[in-house]
Amino acid sequence: MIGRRLPQLFFALSALALVILIAALWKASTPEWKKYQRQFRALEAQGEPNAVTKAAVLATPPQIHQVMLTGLQRVDRCATCHLGVDDPTMKNAPEPFRYHAGLGPHVPSKFGCTICHGGQGLATEKDAAHGNVQFWQTPILSREYIRASCGRCHKEGDVPDVPELTEGRRLFETQGCRGCHKLNGVGGSIGPDLTEEGANHRSPEWLERHFLAPNAVSAGSAMPNFHFTREQARALTYYMLSLTSEEMGTYYSSLRLIPSPGYGRQLFIERNCIVCHSIGGVGSKSGPDLQGVTKRHSLGWLDEQLVNPQQVYPGSTMPEYDLETNARKALVAYMAKATPEDAQEILSHREKPLSTEEVSIEAGRRDFARFGCAGCHGTELQGGVPNPNAQGGQVPSLLHLSDDYTKDEVIAVIRNGRAAPLDNPKGPTPPLYMPSWKQLLSDEDIHQVVEFLWSKQQKSTESW
Amino acid sequence: MNFARDIWRSIFRRDPLLTDKGKSELVFLNVWLHIHPAKVKTENMRFKHTFYLGFITFFLFVVLVTTGIALMFYYRPYPPHAYQDMKDLEYVVFLGSFLRGMHRWAAHGMVICVFLHMCRVFYTASYKKPRQFNWVIGVLLLLLTLGLSFTGYLLPWDQLAFWAITVGTNIGSYAPIVGGQVREILLGGHSVGEAGLLRFYVLHVAVLPSAVILLTIVHFWRVRKDGGLSRPIWKLKPKKQEELVTIGAPPVTAAVNAVVASPQKTYGLMEVVTGKPIFETISPEEEDEAVFSYPYAFFREAIALLATVVGVMLMSLLFRAPLEELANPAKTPNPAKAPWYFLGLQELVSHSALLGGVVAPTLMVLALLVIPYFDRSPSRRPIDRKWAIWLFTIFVAANLILIVVGTFFRGPGWALVPPWVHVTGAVE
Amino acid sequence: MMPSVFYEPPQSFKIGDPADFAFGPPTFLADEKIYVFRDREKGFAAASAICTHLGCTVSHFQSDGKFHCPCHGSVFAADGSVIHGPAPRALQWFEVTEARDGQLQIDKDKIVPPSYRLMV
Repeated sequence: MIGRRLPQLFFALSALALVILIAALWKASTPEWKKYQRQFRALEAQGEPNAVTKAAVLATPPQIHQVMLTGLQRVDRCATCHLGVDDPTMKNAPEPFRYHAGLGPHVPSKFGCTICHGGQGLATEKDAAHGNVQFWQTPILSREYIRASCGRCHKEGDVPDVPELTEGRRLFETQGCRGCHKLNGVGGSIGPDLTEEGANHRSPEWLERHFLAPNAVSAGSAMPNFHFTREQARALTYYMLSLTSEEMGTYYSSLRLIPSPGYGRQLFIERNCIVCHSIGGVGSKSGPDLQGVTKRHSLGWLDEQLVNPQQVYPGSTMPEYDLETNARKALVAYMAKATPEDAQEILSHREKPLSTEEVSIEAGRRDFARFGCAGCHGTELQGGVPNPNAQGGQVPSLLHLSDDYTKDEVIAVIRNGRAAPLDNPKGPTPPLYMPSWKQLLSDEDIHQVVEFLWSKQQKSTESW
Repeated sequence: MNFARDIWRSIFRRDPLLTDKGKSELVFLNVWLHIHPAKVKTENMRFKHTFYLGFITFFLFVVLVTTGIALMFYYRPYPPHAYQDMKDLEYVVFLGSFLRGMHRWAAHGMVICVFLHMCRVFYTASYKKPRQFNWVIGVLLLLLTLGLSFTGYLLPWDQLAFWAITVGTNIGSYAPIVGGQVREILLGGHSVGEAGLLRFYVLHVAVLPSAVILLTIVHFWRVRKDGGLSRPIWKLKPKKQEELVTIGAPPVTAAVNAVVASPQKTYGLMEVVTGKPIFETISPEEEDEAVFSYPYAFFREAIALLATVVGVMLMSLLFRAPLEELANPAKTPNPAKAPWYFLGLQELVSHSALLGGVVAPTLMVLALLVIPYFDRSPSRRPIDRKWAIWLFTIFVAANLILIVVGTFFRGPGWALVPPWVHVTGAVE
Repeated sequence: MMPSVFYEPPQSFKIGDPADFAFGPPTFLADEKIYVFRDREKGFAAASAICTHLGCTVSHFQSDGKFHCPCHGSVFAADGSVIHGPAPRALQWFEVTEARDGQLQIDKDKIVPPSYRLMV
């Protein structure tokens, strides 16, 4: 009939329900971060002499601290535990309460934390927030790689304190990476496009191992081993990590346009401004003196001058320079602080004027490096990169081109590209081939490259 | 004080619960409770007969609606926000993780219990005449439950959700003629995307729950009209068993049992009008085997409700609901698996798309639907139903085996890998 | 029932300049889930990278020239036909045309036979 034990069962279940509810409430009321906040308040209270303020500090209610960064498309809650991040009196506090020195303009209220450090900003538990959990693909960057994040925003010029970025960029441009990899639309299609490599969630350690031995990390890859040193691999890793094109609100993208005078100086030298202009009397007399020019003209006027000199001074012989906004800003910033001593230094380092031929060869050399030819043909044109099932088994050397080809034939190959001739006709297509460059290089450019190649030809020992 | 008493009396109009009349009126006069009979036979309440699975399934649904509505305050069904809201529930919302866990485990529980309830009803042959159509409604409720679970699965918008639904909708597209179109209407596009998320959300919180509620109302109503919970016939004395072998209105020639109306009972109008009792109603001879619903039946139901809620809360406290990385249409996880209750289907489909994806499930559903119309014998005794019991058991076992294989024995590339072998991460 | 506009990548789209595509191994476009082949003699072709079984993304391996699906082990030949596994249909090939600005244009709504090529 009626179960005798039912009332007891009901009572037991009710008690269990109550217990579980209390356990759930307790668990929800005592998250990890509250403990850290209590510790921080105690720390704060220690340094407080006034008893009333001390009590007030200790009684501060616990609260999740959040920075909403719509411009950076993220929400960071790190400050919930890292409470001393913007408090200079916490300079010597133990972590996680220590003050973050050296931030400069990168205040947490405007930048959050994860844009530089990585990690999971939405989380409020330590392991989850540091991203060291399954299913979070951007864990906190270790001390060794954190500075690579500077490159995510600061993409032009040299970033102070991060020489690895400059070195990485330099290596990329000179070792011929562009021959196989596209970056920002320029480059070959043999390897993957690297424009967004920083957003691919690869661990810095993987990237570094990849540069040291591509085939050990990516089995079957056609990428040759460039025999980079550890430092070079690290520099390239930094550069890769910085390759993101994050959508950023106008506040942030305008910040990226802060010009670096160092970059401006570099451009001043590269574009040979000293050939027409002087600074404080040092230099050429053809064009106006540039010292103090930023006090005489507005920045907008100077910018326009760089874009379209004829419009500002009709009949001017100043050429139109193909400079981006940031480059122009950097140049103008440099002119604001350029001194005659500086100009003197620049003059003394200039090489003697080049002949037209030499200019041609120099332009060709620059294009050879810039468009990545060196990646396959080698920085010394020696070839040797393995190309399975191609005749000769490797990318050919370019040092003896003149023995087998005329200049026009070589120009045609560069323009139209060429498939690698097969060693075994039934075997697989070799992964590396000569791409067609006519879309990216004008005929003039190709001509200059060939001039460069011809200047490097080695005479064969045999003579006919 | 009369004022207070008037207010109280205007709300609670029944007699005190100490009286029999009061106990009856608690049921009769209350809109929420009057689906119950005022009195139930004790053997209808036996735990071992039904395991209260129907109740438990319903209570799980109640838990799901309650937790679901609470979750709705924190969830935005648009791709970039959906995942972020899941993270917020996990880390920021008070009791968010607990609430979400309750919802997820109650959902899994409901799929399991609705299936077990169907098995129980089958094995006790409670679908026989006159209960055939209620079985059909039950099967529809089973399909709606699976649909609710499926639409809800997509909402977290993580890799698990995205690819499970990609695979699930692709299985559905194998249906002949309409498959592709139905898939595109469900998704509002050619592949799982923001349109699909919104449509699944609306289905999940509005359309399907409404359908479930409507059908549940009919389902409960019919249980009552069919005479309440079917009684376990093997508990009755042989004489009674024989009687029950031929269920139906007593033959016209049988003498009508005239009984003096009792002043202690309330009589429903229908008894007076038709002059014929409802099937399996409590006849005067069985009076002493019947007890008032209050407190006996309600007490048991309350225990079932408590046990359900405690079970769900315990699961939520102990096990965190999973959340993988943000959905990435460009990256297929290896292996990509449908939700577990469809894994049996995916296993079948991996052998043959047409047979496994279309023919087998259609036949299964059709077979389920026609069971009560095929099985015409009125006998509920197991000896008289050997074939039916065998067939059904094989069907259940096959489904279980397929699901187990799909869950535990299939690794990357859908290769057969025993679960105790550690499988290293697949290629990116 | 069916929306008039789709909030998803368009069915017909441009993929870039012909010169940007490599010979030999196909180029995989992740967002559109398409393999773009470029043959020296015959020209361009675009194959769907979506397995016809349950929608996973297939991988093309240069070593055997076949498409392999990681989910249930379907294997497709170089022309997209099913060699092995539960996939019911061959991989689809999409029409490749040259747009007015010289870029390659793919239309996923137009299915073409596997032998279709666009010579540029």
